[in-house]
Amino acid sequence: MTDPLADAATNRRNFLGLIGLGAAAVAGGGLLAGCSEKAGSKGVASKADKGVLPKFKAVDMVKPDIPGEGPIPQGFLSYPTNLVDAISEKPGSGGPTIKTMAPWWGPVPPGLGRNSYLDAVNAELGVQVDPSLQDGNTYFDKLSATLGARDVPDLLVAPNWEIDKIARFSDAVKALFEDLTDYLAGDAVDAYPMLASLSTGAWEYSVWGGRLYAVPFPTDGPFAWALFQRKDLMDAAGVAAPTNVDELYQAGKKLTNPGKGVWAFGSVFDMVQQAFGCPGVQNGWRKKAGGGLEHKYETEEYRQALEFTVRLYKEKLVHPDVIATKGADEKTLFNGGKILMYQDGLGAWQGMQGEQSKVTPGYNMQPVPAFGAHPGTKPVLWGSEKPIFFTFVKKGLGADRTKEILRVLNWCAAPFGTKEWELRQYGVEGKHFTRGPDGPVPTDLGRKEVAEAQFTFLGGRVPAKWKSSDTPNYVQDYINYHKASIQYLEPDLFKGIKLELPANYSKVLQPTEDKIRDVLNGRRPLSDLDQIVSEFRSGGGDEGRAFLEKALADNGR
Amino acid sequence: MSAVVATRARRRATRPVWEEKPTVIGRSAKALILTLLVLAVLFPMWSVLVTSLASRSTINEAGGMVVVPREFDPSAYFTIFSGGQVTQAVWTSTLLTVMGTAVSLGLTVLAAYGLSRPGSLGHRPLLFLFLLTFLIYPGLVPSYLVVTGLGLKNSLWSLILPTAISAFNLVVIRAFFMNVPSELVDSARIDGAGEFRILLRIVLPLSKAVVAVVGLFYAVGYWNVYFNAVLYIDDNDKLPIQRVLQSYILAGQTPHVTGNAPNLPGISAYPPTLAIKMAVVVVTVIPAVLVYPFVQRHFTKGVITGAVKG
Repeated sequence: MTDPLADAATNRRNFLGLIGLGAAAVAGGGLLAGCSEKAGSKGVASKADKGVLPKFKAVDMVKPDIPGEGPIPQGFLSYPTNLVDAISEKPGSGGPTIKTMAPWWGPVPPGLGRNSYLDAVNAELGVQVDPSLQDGNTYFDKLSATLGARDVPDLLVAPNWEIDKIARFSDAVKALFEDLTDYLAGDAVDAYPMLASLSTGAWEYSVWGGRLYAVPFPTDGPFAWALFQRKDLMDAAGVAAPTNVDELYQAGKKLTNPGKGVWAFGSVFDMVQQAFGCPGVQNGWRKKAGGGLEHKYETEEYRQALEFTVRLYKEKLVHPDVIATKGADEKTLFNGGKILMYQDGLGAWQGMQGEQSKVTPGYNMQPVPAFGAHPGTKPVLWGSEKPIFFTFVKKGLGADRTKEILRVLNWCAAPFGTKEWELRQYGVEGKHFTRGPDGPVPTDLGRKEVAEAQFTFLGGRVPAKWKSSDTPNYVQDYINYHKASIQYLEPDLFKGIKLELPANYSKVLQPTEDKIRDVLNGRRPLSDLDQIVSEFRSGGGDEGRAFLEKALADNGR
Repeated sequence: MSAVVATRARRRATRPVWEEKPTVIGRSAKALILTLLVLAVLFPMWSVLVTSLASRSTINEAGGMVVVPREFDPSAYFTIFSGGQVTQAVWTSTLLTVMGTAVSLGLTVLAAYGLSRPGSLGHRPLLFLFLLTFLIYPGLVPSYLVVTGLGLKNSLWSLILPTAISAFNLVVIRAFFMNVPSELVDSARIDGAGEFRILLRIVLPLSKAVVAVVGLFYAVGYWNVYFNAVLYIDDNDKLPIQRVLQSYILAGQTPHVTGNAPNLPGISAYPPTLAIKMAVVVVTVIPAVLVYPFVQRHFTKGVITGAVKG
């Protein structure tokens, strides 16, 4: 049952069938064959029906020091001394091995049979879980192939940004994955209390065609970008964090010193756009005053943001590597103090702060508090409550098996402060981690054998930030930044509506961004913006607008 | 006497320019240009090597790649090899390379020999079929279906069989085989040799150069196998070296997503240093650097054969 090859055993007829299927896939005729191709897609929009969502019930086993709020994670300023045993019964009922597939961005840990951490967790689960960790950066290809060939494992983890790229994904969901509505909707989720504690905002995104199909992995920070500063170096230079774009420009002037190999900025354009108030929903849409939608490229705010950033580039306040290439290693430049401000995802923060403070005493990486372009104006911060991953259960495993798998997911969703969480996150005490004054410290074996993609990615979890000794102020800083900035988070016009965007629109986005890049680094004049925008509109932008307007109208928004 | 001088002068005048003894300036200019070219090739490799052995603070100070070595810090190599995963992958890849090259070379030589004999059955249509694979690639999903359907998934064979014969290499070897004098083949046949004996005793010994070169092509190809491993190998213990090393390079990097970089939990906990990335590059390149000198003497001859004789 769990062996994906079992039903594909080879005989001559089967093989000929395969060849036939292959041919059909080439012709784009197979039901899912189109999964890897976007060609010809006109787009699909479907909406979440509240009735299918699980009823939210918080799990209050361990009280956080700073309570979470919506998409803001809970904060813990110390590691709990008494861990709670949240799940007493073994989730597994001795079923066959559960095969999983998840993306991972890091060294691959040893597989089942050579990994004592997997053995420990599986013993606790009462069923064998065999995780397969795939390269996160080529996950799209892997996902396309497995979906197209209908060769899915028992549990499949799919990142939201890959799903957005796969055409006819909703067809694939219906054909390949179990409809979880009857297991989880409303009070039915009570059987899985940890899953019931995931936020409703995250569950809303797990609905395809009006039915609940996946367990979400809620985001621990809704913002797409932050502007990071080297606060230690800025303080030393006597430059305060800017509070509007003029101050940003002045700071750039003061801090840039090419003679010493120091430039004020790395990439900042996305943050500048947000300061000017450009919209970011679905790559930049907002409602127009007179009705209908307008794209950020068509707005005055965008023109001003572009003009401002071109000036930073022109006056050489941006590091030359960043101007010259798309793939400049800005993290290294920032760590080395070669650039003092750059934009990055907030996920980069803790790791860089922790690692770098070991070699650079006083290293202090901080996000610049969100600011509007001019005194008195407010920024528009891009982002959403969209979950990072979705976990799908293979279709047709039977009710008992599906329940067993959901119990495993429930175990994987146990929150911070529980014994289950510690085992999942760190492994066995004395073997995979030792207990320091600030909580568990992984051993070499732990670092080698444990990866979040093995279990944590599967079940979602209530997001939490906890103190670690190498980043003592991180938890407060992170949550304070979020609390201060959440008021500027742009509301998601399309929240809960599943959009499979028209192919032409999806295809025009990157080339347009490339043209804008040419304007930024001076290869094209600023006056080309009008032409770029009209090319964007005729190349698919207008089609995208019509599609999105219709999706909003259909949903009465 | 004067006649002799005149003849010499005339000879000098008619001598083509490349037969002239090169001037000192010309020679030093050549030396200079060649040295610059060699440096242009060696410099990045040097920088990679030095960076892989640099400490984090040296890398910070350089703001990226290091050029001037300050210390010898092999910790990046320890990090890579300490997990056991890399050592395992090196074995997997070695096995894959040896097996794969043997299979590919065997099949290619046999096919090339058959196709190089003008009288062999259906050799034109067969050759056409081989050449067709130059133009037409089966596509991701169909290939995946065939490989999984044959039960090859999670087996090293899935990395060997789908790419066992490269049409390019086949054409190169066939061209070389066709160039073996037919008199030799005929005389062997008169002496009673069968096709296999002719191939093994006559044709192959005369074609060492091209076989060595094509073997190197295949071996490098198998050593560098990456994408098929992403598709077909789910078992973490069977991943080839490139797939494993790549995971070190990308560790901690947030995936590149237009406009909305996700906040991934955990993955940035231990971001790799540039040193680790460069150590990975060194580890990947070493086998090719080690093998190349042994095959090099065959290289020009082997490759040019395919180029000038069709």
